[in-house]
Amino acid sequence: MTEFPPLPPLPPRSRGSIALLEESCTSCMLCARECPDWCITIDSHTEGVPTGTAATATTGARLRTRNVLDRFAIDYSLCMYCGICVDVCPFDALFWSPELVRAGFDIRDLDYQRDRLGALLPGVPPPPAVDPGAEEPKELAAARRRLQEG
Amino acid sequence: MSGTSAGSVELGERLAGLVEGTVKRSYGDVTVDVPAARWVEAVTAARDELGLTFFDWLSAVDELAGGFSVVCHLADPVGPAHLLVRTRVPAAEPALATVTGVFRGASWHERETFEMFGIDFVGHPALLPLLLPAGFEGRPLRKDFVLAARAAKAWPGGKEPGEADGDAAPSRRRTQPPGVPDPAVWGPR
Repeated sequence: MTEFPPLPPLPPRSRGSIALLEESCTSCMLCARECPDWCITIDSHTEGVPTGTAATATTGARLRTRNVLDRFAIDYSLCMYCGICVDVCPFDALFWSPELVRAGFDIRDLDYQRDRLGALLPGVPPPPAVDPGAEEPKELAAARRRLQEG
Repeated sequence: MSGTSAGSVELGERLAGLVEGTVKRSYGDVTVDVPAARWVEAVTAARDELGLTFFDWLSAVDELAGGFSVVCHLADPVGPAHLLVRTRVPAAEPALATVTGVFRGASWHERETFEMFGIDFVGHPALLPLLLPAGFEGRPLRKDFVLAARAAKAWPGGKEPGEADGDAAPSRRRTQPPGVPDPAVWGPR
């Protein structure tokens, strides 16, 4: 691999690359459909989720299903860094990362699969603080309720 | 050059008065629509009467059944005043008189507009392709031009959630990519 010099500090909101938080992705396909230059490829399959209750087994009620991500790729040889996928993602699975996509010796090196997209995550800055007096994030309220319930 | 300067509006009104044009203000720009027959006269008047001696660019817009709009941007090299001068040519056999006699620098712009839209600039000294390779067929900036990349590759958004390549039921109605016309109606007119 080529050695690159360390990056100078970049200004806030720099568009370095787009990182994927796999755990948040529901394979909903919205980003792949919105992408103006068709650079996002998603493969997924559907799995049944055990509900933990005997009712489904005995009554034959339909099993709950969820989508499992098999492949998520952003082809950075096509990407024009418009950020529409980041904006459109309803589950906050895509983030702007300050890491840059480096040059390679083969154009196929620029087709980032999900492991490399995930490796871009650590540089993602924390979200900006909420405005004073704003409603508390729902995750915090839910976590507090769980704590109180024990 | 952002925002509509009072000078541009005044110049637009003057040009419109000289060549029977109409003035339109949009997005901070002043556009003067002129009859195609008075195109060269309008550009000459903008240079000589209004002092817009800097020729910035010339290009066209495919208006489909409405023909082609040919637009050129002229500016005052000293002050903030600038104008868009626009005319309309028909879709069938589009042709317009050249303004290379007014601005020599318009030559490349007209060659590019000719190869990209197929608009004939009558009187141009050498209307040859500028950017496209020799033997290229088609007019790439016309809206009916088939973009090969959109026909050669399958749309990655066509899959449904929970679906991978090749495991789709062929009977299901597929989501179509936005902005890409139906293949049944897509092609040269």
